[in-house]
Amino acid sequence: MMYIDPHIHVTSRTTDDYEAMHKAGIVAVIEPAFWLGQPRTKVGSFQDYFSSLVGWERFRAKQFGIVHYCTIGLNSKEANNVPLAEEVMELLPLYVGKEGVVAIGEIGYDDQTEAEDRFYRLQLELAKEVDLPVMIHTPHRDKKKGTLRSMDVSEEHGLDPGMVIVDHNNEETVKEVLDRGYWAAFTIYPHTKMGSERMVEIVRQYGPERIIVDSAADWGISDPLAVPKTAALMLEKGIPKEHVEMTCYKNALKAYGQSGQMEEKDWLEKEPIDQTKKHGGSTVLRGGQTPRVDNDSSNIIEN
Amino acid sequence: MQDLSITRHFLKGVLSETASASALDWLEVQEEKIRTSPSQMKLFLAFSQASRHFPKEVVKLSEEKNLEARKIRHGFQLTTWTALQTARTVLILGVVSDKDDDWIPILDRLFESADMHEQEALYSALPLLPFPEKLTARAAEGIRTNITSVFDAVALDNPYPSEYLDEAAWNQLLLKAIFMQRPLYRIVGAEGRANLPLARTLVDYVHERWSAGRNVIPELWRFLVPFVDEEILGLLEKVLGEGTNLERKAAALACSDADHPGCPILLSKYPDLEEMIARGAISWEGIGRAFDAER
Repeated sequence: MMYIDPHIHVTSRTTDDYEAMHKAGIVAVIEPAFWLGQPRTKVGSFQDYFSSLVGWERFRAKQFGIVHYCTIGLNSKEANNVPLAEEVMELLPLYVGKEGVVAIGEIGYDDQTEAEDRFYRLQLELAKEVDLPVMIHTPHRDKKKGTLRSMDVSEEHGLDPGMVIVDHNNEETVKEVLDRGYWAAFTIYPHTKMGSERMVEIVRQYGPERIIVDSAADWGISDPLAVPKTAALMLEKGIPKEHVEMTCYKNALKAYGQSGQMEEKDWLEKEPIDQTKKHGGSTVLRGGQTPRVDNDSSNIIEN
Repeated sequence: MQDLSITRHFLKGVLSETASASALDWLEVQEEKIRTSPSQMKLFLAFSQASRHFPKEVVKLSEEKNLEARKIRHGFQLTTWTALQTARTVLILGVVSDKDDDWIPILDRLFESADMHEQEALYSALPLLPFPEKLTARAAEGIRTNITSVFDAVALDNPYPSEYLDEAAWNQLLLKAIFMQRPLYRIVGAEGRANLPLARTLVDYVHERWSAGRNVIPELWRFLVPFVDEEILGLLEKVLGEGTNLERKAAALACSDADHPGCPILLSKYPDLEEMIARGAISWEGIGRAFDAER
C-alpha cells in the first residue's frame, strides 16, 4: 500500500529515516513550516528556512524516492514576537506561490494571545487571496477551546471548511471538526498527542471520511513511520482496507490536492530515484557512493 | 550581445512553438503587470507561478532557432532549456536593463528565495544578462550548491563561467564538476581555460582517488594535456596499462594531444589505440558521452 505522511518535519530527520519511510511505502510527505525548537530572532532565518523547504529538503527527499511538498506560514508561537512577525508576513508572498507549496500553514493558536490571533487572521486572508488550503495547528494546552476558536475565526473570514485541515485532533475535538465540514487530521506522536491504538478506535467510530493520519515527526522523540504503522494496526484490528487507504493516503491527497500543486502522478510517474543514477556528488551521496544496502550485521562501512 | 528586447522576443518565439495560447497570454499579462507595478511583488509571484502555466518539458528547437540563439549570444545554447525556465527568463529580461544596474538587488532577492527549478532558470540565464562582470560572485555561489541540477545550470552548456570567472572560481567549477562526475565536454570553453594550478590539483586528486581504490572520470585527462611532465606521463602510462577501455582511450587521446616527447613513445606501445585516434574514432565528447551512458 502507498502512504502519504501529510505532516512531518523531515528537515530534522536523518537519511536512515528517509530510507525506512521509503521502504515502508511512504511515497509523499508534506512538511509544514513550523518553529525549530527555539525561537528565531531574525527574519533572515525564516527566509533561509522557507528556502530550504522549497529547495534543499525537496531535493534530499527525492533522492530517497519520496516526493516532498510543504506548507508556508508563520507559526503561532513565533507570531508572539510582533516586530519579527510583521517582517515575516512581508516575506510570505515570496514563497506561497512556489511549486509544491500545498497550503498556508501550520497556523493557528498556541497560547491564544492577541498577537497570535492577529497573524492567524492575516494569514487566513492570504490563503484566500492565493486560493490555497489552510493547515491549522491546534494548541497543546486548552486544546478544545483553541480548536473551536480556530474554526470560528476561519468562518468569520469566509473560508470554506473544505479548504481547511484542522490538525492534532483528539477524541474531544473530532466530532465538532467533522460536523462542521473540516478535514480532521490526527497526529500519532507518543506521549503528547495520539497513540495508534486510539487512532484505530476513532476510525472505527467515525469512519474514514475527511480523517487524515500523520506523524508530525520532528526533532523530538517521534516516529517517522507513524502513518504506515497505524495503517498496519488498523488492518490488524479489522478496519476495512478501503478505510485505511482513505485515512492514510487518499484523503490527504484530496485535501491538499486542492492547491493544484500535488497530484498522484508526481510519484506514480516520477523519475527513478536519483541515488541510483549515481550522480556522484549529488551530495547526500558523496563522490559516487551507491545507495546503502542493508548491512546491519557488518562493521564494514562501504568505501 | 544583442539588445535585451531582441533576446526576449526570441525566447518568446521559442516558447510560442511549445506553450499553449493561454500560457502565452498569461505571460503577456504578467509582463504588463510587472512593467506598470511599483512594487516587485508582481514579478516575484509571476516568477514562481509560471510553473502553473508552463511545463518542464524541454523546448523543441528548429535548426534555424539554434543558429539564431548563437547570434544573440556567442556560445548560447538552449538545447536543455525547459518551457518553464524560458518563460522565467522572459520575465527576468523584462526587469533588467543595460543602462544601469539598479536591478541587481531584485535579482538577488529572486536568487535568495528561489526553489530548485527557479535556481536552475536563474543560473542558466546568466549569459543573457547585462553587466556580466557584476554577477561573478553570484555564479561562484551557484557552484557551491549541493543540488546537481543547479550546479549543472551554472556549469554546463553555459558560456558565462569560462568568459567571466576568475581562475580560482573557474578551477573550483572544474574540480567540482570532476568530483561530481559531470559531463565535462558540456562545459563551454573549458579546454581554453586549462591552467597549471588546476592541473597540479587534478594530479593530487588522481593520487588521492587511487589511494582510496577509486577511479577518476576519463575526461579528466583532457585538462592535463598542456602540462604533461614526467609525473603526468607516469600516470598516463598506468592508465594505459591498467585502466578500463574508456579510461585507456582517454589516456591515449591525452597522449596524442600533448607535446611531451615521451608521449609518442608511450602511445606507440598501443597501436590499436593509436590507429583509432589516427582515424578520428576517439574524441573527448565521445568519451564523455560514453562515460555518461555507462553509468
